[in-house]
Amino acid sequence: MLVDFGLITRAQKGDSAAFNEIVLAYRKRILGTITRLIARPEDVEDVAQEVFLRLYFSLDQLRKEEVFEPWLYRLTVNAAYDYLRKQRRRQEYRMSDLSEQQVMLADAMAGGKAEQEDQHHKKVREAVDSLLGAVSEADRILLMLKEVEGLSLKELEKVYNVNENALKVRLFRARQRVLKAFGASGKKEEAG
Amino acid sequence: MRGNDDQKLDALLRAYRAACSGPEPNANFMPELWARIESRQSVTFSFRRMANAFTTAAVALSVVLGVYMAIPRSNPSLYNETYVEVLAEANTPDTRDVVNPFTVEVERASR
Repeated sequence: MLVDFGLITRAQKGDSAAFNEIVLAYRKRILGTITRLIARPEDVEDVAQEVFLRLYFSLDQLRKEEVFEPWLYRLTVNAAYDYLRKQRRRQEYRMSDLSEQQVMLADAMAGGKAEQEDQHHKKVREAVDSLLGAVSEADRILLMLKEVEGLSLKELEKVYNVNENALKVRLFRARQRVLKAFGASGKKEEAG
Repeated sequence: MRGNDDQKLDALLRAYRAACSGPEPNANFMPELWARIESRQSVTFSFRRMANAFTTAAVALSVVLGVYMAIPRSNPSLYNETYVEVLAEANTPDTRDVVNPFTVEVERASR
């Protein structure tokens, strides 16, 4: 825990300074998690603010301070889901609205921006994003929380409110699918 | 035993965490967050105020209707009589009997 229980209790009673301290303590971690969940750096802060906004208005519903972190993760996952859902709708609308020339221009601009990024990190990100494309959005987030964020099964159980065995099965299947895609991409590289 | 691909995948995911370390928080993060909280609070507050006004209006209307229904009507005897009493009043002994001519016609037809 990055904060003590007393601080959470104070924030629950409406202490703004205590809430500020909680946000400051978790801000960096939540920003990192959201970056990995939504993969769009320009919207990360917006989604993180949405998470803390939801935290502020639902803090009084938290019964046990021990579950604060899994609960914050749940809020983060839900906000990321909402964002991805909205984004999918917006993208469909945007792409159908643009002319072919505009789409090509947008692609070229994105390419130019990407060139400035560190090449190695970019490659890793692309590889993982493409591998995780082999599983559903929900499984991708679950895998990310387990494999990248490093949450334990016990913590995930609290985040998702489902039993450990069900989570194990889901994780195993998702990982198998990613491994299959990983193996296939390895073979392709070897052949190329 | 975990396969070679398993280990490679783990290493790739670890590298991914390093590659996506998240941005440094913007200096405006907290002010913007509080601005959003306050704007949401004002929306909630005005909604609550509207809901309260609506509830008060509904209670007032119920009271007015209750009082209106409780006030006795100007002709109270109208609803105090039973059905039989109203019928008896309408059919006094001097009222013309309209059934007899019909009986006569039925008798003629049977002949």
